[in-house]
Amino acid sequence: MNNLDYLKSILDSYPELQYELVEKFWSTDFLRFYQSQTNYNISKDNIVVSASIYKGKKSFAFQLDNPDTKQIDAAVKDTLDVIDKLPEDPDFVDLENDLTFAEPRAVTNNIEALSLDKKVRILSKIADSASTHGFEIFGTFICNHQKYRIVNSNGMDKSSESSPIYLEVKAVRNSNQVTVLETFGGENAGLLDEDAFLQSLLRRIAHGSGEIIDVEPGYYDVVLAPRCVAEFVQYLSWGMSARALDQSSSYFEGKLDEKVFPENISIIDDPSDPEMIRADYGSSGHIYRRLPLIEKGVFRNFMCDNYYSHKTGLPKNGNSASCLRIEPGTRNLDEMIGSVKRGLYISSLHYMNFINPRETSLTGLTRDGTFLIEDGKITKVVNNLRFTERIERILNNVIGLENRCQTIPFSENYDSFDIATVKAPHALVRDFNISSSTKTI
Amino acid sequence: MEHLVKQTIAKLSLPEVSFADVRLTRTDWESIYFMNGFLRGFGSNMDATAIGIRVLVNGCWGFAGSRDLSPASVERLIKQAISNARQGSGFLRNKVEFPALPASEAEYIHKPEIDPFAMPKEEKTEFLGKLAEAIKPQGKIVHSTVMAQFMRQEKYYANSEGTYSHTVFYNTLPLMEVMAADGGQVQSRTWPGHMSAGRGGFELFHQQKFVENTQRIIKEATDLLDAPVIEEEKADIIIGNGHLALQLHESVGHATEADRIFGMEISYAGKTFIKPPMIGSFQYGSPIVNIFSDSTDPAGLGFHPVDDEGVPGKKLDIIKDGILVNQQTSRHIAHLLGLEPSANMKASFADDFPLVRMTNFCLAPGKGSLDELIAETEHGYLLDFTKTWSIDDNRNNFQFTTEIGYRIENGKITGIVKEPTYFGITKDFWNACDRVCGPEEWGYHSTFHCGKGEPGQVMQLSHGVAPARFKNINVSVKI
Repeated sequence: MNNLDYLKSILDSYPELQYELVEKFWSTDFLRFYQSQTNYNISKDNIVVSASIYKGKKSFAFQLDNPDTKQIDAAVKDTLDVIDKLPEDPDFVDLENDLTFAEPRAVTNNIEALSLDKKVRILSKIADSASTHGFEIFGTFICNHQKYRIVNSNGMDKSSESSPIYLEVKAVRNSNQVTVLETFGGENAGLLDEDAFLQSLLRRIAHGSGEIIDVEPGYYDVVLAPRCVAEFVQYLSWGMSARALDQSSSYFEGKLDEKVFPENISIIDDPSDPEMIRADYGSSGHIYRRLPLIEKGVFRNFMCDNYYSHKTGLPKNGNSASCLRIEPGTRNLDEMIGSVKRGLYISSLHYMNFINPRETSLTGLTRDGTFLIEDGKITKVVNNLRFTERIERILNNVIGLENRCQTIPFSENYDSFDIATVKAPHALVRDFNISSSTKTI
Repeated sequence: MEHLVKQTIAKLSLPEVSFADVRLTRTDWESIYFMNGFLRGFGSNMDATAIGIRVLVNGCWGFAGSRDLSPASVERLIKQAISNARQGSGFLRNKVEFPALPASEAEYIHKPEIDPFAMPKEEKTEFLGKLAEAIKPQGKIVHSTVMAQFMRQEKYYANSEGTYSHTVFYNTLPLMEVMAADGGQVQSRTWPGHMSAGRGGFELFHQQKFVENTQRIIKEATDLLDAPVIEEEKADIIIGNGHLALQLHESVGHATEADRIFGMEISYAGKTFIKPPMIGSFQYGSPIVNIFSDSTDPAGLGFHPVDDEGVPGKKLDIIKDGILVNQQTSRHIAHLLGLEPSANMKASFADDFPLVRMTNFCLAPGKGSLDELIAETEHGYLLDFTKTWSIDDNRNNFQFTTEIGYRIENGKITGIVKEPTYFGITKDFWNACDRVCGPEEWGYHSTFHCGKGEPGQVMQLSHGVAPARFKNINVSVKI
């Protein structure tokens, strides 16, 4: 009997208790490199068992790392000793009762599929090509493998497995530190086309070889790379959660089924796209299904788990913006850039933070390639810039979306190391507010 | 545990391993969270053990870590760490090298005044529940939280040079927050700000006067709804400790982590504008600005007798009389820069790879009280309690919004402003510092949440600060 089954068997002997138990096995092989050489190689694994135990409206939770039965016994005893003495949460009603299973899918352990030797070979090839242009490469090449099982006292017993890949290469020009970025993310190692990855990086390197200039603060027409569009939408999605609504910090409060953005904006949380890192279940075990968030500019759904569904009355779903897709438009990228008389191409964003989430106001910076567009062509490298904007204003100023999307990986570095992907097209945005320059590249 | 660490380091005494270290941590964690007056979460993670093995083979680092301390697991980790280093050395130009250090032994066992893990759980929830009740939604307050996180960590460290240390620390993160709303507008106030953590136990709730400040944050959050914004383009600002700690953290602390000079953090945390030739001559701040790194002070979260690669704790000047004089380093990076290692290598848990980290990173006190500084200010703003923070890839351009600003006219506070936002360039800003308050205002402000590295680690660290004044700062950002 494994740890989770052992814990479940104990708790089942207390019919007055409800419980949600999660067992997560996680391992990573993590190659970090700088100056076209290894910084360090990490192998790391853990097994965590988490339990949330309820007695009426009182609850206590514990987490155990790689526990034995003695530790589980002690944690249960500790819980039983204290739970009656704790105050109630009147908003707790019941645990998740969605017993729907996700479609089974084959998962390859990419730690094995992309061995360290293979990673080193790929990176050596990229480094050699970059060096002929005067650039060194920096970044990370990561494969994770995780298995997850959730059971609860409402009869739920679901398992899920995933093995995300994250390759991030920053090419930095030796002479002046100009940086450009290329990434790959997903679960299918077969989609990592090494030649296409290298060619795309070399195109960016070509752009990064130009003269460096500074620009004055002001409002600019900008072409946002898919990574930027994805990140703005990730931040916006906080306000699409029932939790944000409950905390009075949602921009979308009172806006269900209202038109909030232009018709060219559609945003979906879709776990079924094979090019992305998929999700089977939400954090409480509800099945993760395709959920339209913005349809042709109209706000359609809050992401809402079981707890907040009871609290807010909104319909529940398993979504948590882990598989966002911003639908493409109709325009060709070259044509979009070609339509800009004087503006900016922004490759990537850095250190964004909300000033006021309810208003979607935030500040952040550009990095890894900010370029001047003059007469429809990328002509110069621009110092990294600060913007102070509202996401709702940015989306309302989108005047064109590229006719294709790219899959963009993001790593979550707080709490637990996780990898997710977002699909997004380039966007042409008018009057983007550059509030200051960093004066550095 | 001591036996396991020493036994493991002994097994790494192999010809191909030029340096090795082994760490083992045992961590207890408890968190309590009240929302809108009700207990929303009470959880623990007790006796969480982790082990990490780091080796230098062929001049390349290899690391393996796990929460599984079984003999079979440790054997597997030894092999994995060595294999990782061997294979990584196939993509290497310059071997990692650094001078040996003499062996040292250290032990430090910290005891808090009120051990949060020995306190009955219901006693903790009763105290926090009363705070939560006091700030629950009322009037224009629409949301409130009270939270506490308690951590006890025991760490064993041994390296191949014969250094060994054993430490136990208790750290606590207490925080409360209210949010006021009116129509479409929301304003919030925290107490005592986001750098509220400290070395100690439950006594921090008393030392930081939580009970005494519940009504203050309710009133201030509510008043902010009707407060004006700053209208000027530029103004003199005094920054209170509740925010200055973060200003120091972002624009000096991270900027002087020397792994950034070599691009080791480019892929996530970023670079720094500092270049090696600037060390010893760069005018980072005005002559009254003195900033030091001090891992020898047990009062801060950054204290350690030896760091996570065997360097004894140190106090060293980073900025002396405004001049950049040193860096926070690892042994490898110190060697590259021709510096002495600064004892700044730390990892959050034993199964994390150690990184260059701030320890107790401090602005030295100047003279006088905050009241005296306000009285000496003809026109300006006292900004406090961080709301939004952002700084660029090179730690050069920052922009901060604080929860509240207090308008100063003719040496007196005459009102408040909402969402005061200022920005600047690091060098210009610290050179605009014309006053730092004295030792009576100086104290540690600490965080549990400094993110760095991949796989990500959140570090607990401290900043010693006293309120300081900065002249003619750009406050023109309008949102």
